[in-house]
Amino acid sequence: MKIGFIGLGIMGRPMALNLIKGGHQVTVWARRAESMQPLLEAGATAAGSPADAARANELVISMVADAPDVAEVMRGVASAGQPGLVAVDMSTIAPAAARRIGEDLAAAGVDFVDAPVSGGEVGAIAGSLSIMAGGSAAAFARARPAFECMGKNIVHVGASGAGQVTKAANQIVTGMGVLAVAEAFAFAAKNGVDRGKVREALLGGFASSKILENHGQRMLDRNFKPGFKSWMHEKDLNIVMQTAHELGLCLPGSAATAQMFNAMVGSGMGEEDSIAVLKLLERLSGQA
Amino acid sequence: MRLGFVGLGAMGRPMALHLQRAGHELAVWARCPDSTRGLPARVCATPAELGRCCEVVFTMLTSSADVEGVVLGLDGLGEGMAPGTVLVDCSTIAPDAARRIAGKLGEKGIDMLDAPVSGGEQGAIDATLAIMVGGEAAVLERVRPLLDCLGQRIVHIGPNGAGQVAKACNQMIMVAAIQALAEAMRLASASGVDRGLVKNALAGGSAGSRVLEVMGERMVIADYAAGIEARLHHKDFGLLLEAARRVGAPTPLAAVVGQQLNALMAQGWGHDDTAGLLRLLELQ
Repeated sequence: MKIGFIGLGIMGRPMALNLIKGGHQVTVWARRAESMQPLLEAGATAAGSPADAARANELVISMVADAPDVAEVMRGVASAGQPGLVAVDMSTIAPAAARRIGEDLAAAGVDFVDAPVSGGEVGAIAGSLSIMAGGSAAAFARARPAFECMGKNIVHVGASGAGQVTKAANQIVTGMGVLAVAEAFAFAAKNGVDRGKVREALLGGFASSKILENHGQRMLDRNFKPGFKSWMHEKDLNIVMQTAHELGLCLPGSAATAQMFNAMVGSGMGEEDSIAVLKLLERLSGQA
Repeated sequence: MRLGFVGLGAMGRPMALHLQRAGHELAVWARCPDSTRGLPARVCATPAELGRCCEVVFTMLTSSADVEGVVLGLDGLGEGMAPGTVLVDCSTIAPDAARRIAGKLGEKGIDMLDAPVSGGEQGAIDATLAIMVGGEAAVLERVRPLLDCLGQRIVHIGPNGAGQVAKACNQMIMVAAIQALAEAMRLASASGVDRGLVKNALAGGSAGSRVLEVMGERMVIADYAAGIEARLHHKDFGLLLEAARRVGAPTPLAAVVGQQLNALMAQGWGHDDTAGLLRLLELQ
């Protein structure tokens, strides 16, 4: 398939590489020309603009930072006038923003799928991302071959915006999950109990989870390199909190968790992995 | 002086009347013409027209978007106001929005103060509002006699946006106190103790406050007819939590109170008083 790919950061670059490996013809565009270089070496073609990345392609995919960026590149995509084009945004943005962008693209005759991912840089490189999609069944079917090069667990959740709703739900669970593991470790340590043994014991029971296994191990190793930066987790939980505010939805646990990430960003830990919330807990309880 | 007023709701209307009674010439504009009825004022067709005929214009609106629309939008105040005139925005909006509006008006030589108020409808009627001002001190001195018509405590906090920061602090403390009071009332009732007596006893001690007096009474007699509409506090919490995350200030209590306000909205109690936070606890 002929695919345009916009946004070649930590996530976008390996995702685009996996499309090339899957045998697709890929055109790339990134704001900074030098981030296109590794893709061009792998066989991609350079586009001069987002519109250019859409032109003569069947599918165009964006993986950028925030809703205004998505809106901007999709305005370019819409202006390409490419008939039968399907546009896919795999960034994490607010469901309401995704629905608006979908409507704007529909007005230009472009089908839109919101398809945010979970699995981080590791999942992007391994092509094992979870992909949660919102949009029409027909558009999803057209994008599916591309999704299969990038991810393993690919679910069409529902109509436009449903993918972002799912991602927000994912961030609620992972955000609180990271905080829960960090609190359990702080609790064990303050009681003079070995955290590694606690983790080992818990992995056999109902508290077992990937977060306890992977993030828990990194907490034990005090390896706070991202991974997933805490400012990004804060940004994602802010999407949750703003949506809850608009809908009239009570999410006390998410609110408390968002505040912990907010405090991390405010105290200079924004660039560290979100598991560094453990350090904040330790500081608050005089364990540092 | 020739004064303009936009936003003639429960707060704005008595404020505008105080200014008119102090001997100033009043002009008004309202989105809904009905709200100008009975006012001794010239009614203008657009905010721009209002701006053209005034030396100082007051706005008292609901959201950042409302103020930006009326000031910077098509036919907005900014199109009509002359260099050297002053916009006094008494609305509660985001500090960032206040700074943005002040910046845009500044390009045209129009001065702006963010001057949100505390004291509610009764404070507006009695002209006893607390007014927290952001902007240049010299501009405040020019309009201080006008603010004296509206309130008793007028404090210059700092540059543009600082007034809105102070108002955010005010809302944070007040609504958290209402929530604390609701929890105390719930504890009293659940323990078989008379709420009214608890309230009376507390009034004399360290937990005594205006919130205890006013909101406490509403909770004791279960009268939740507004007062202050809870939907406005809900709006304010959206603003203040966003302002806190912009600067990375931790606000764990405000975050939880914000969730209680979300639940209150979900119950359809947004037009009732914020004392209704107690009703939420009674659902549990």
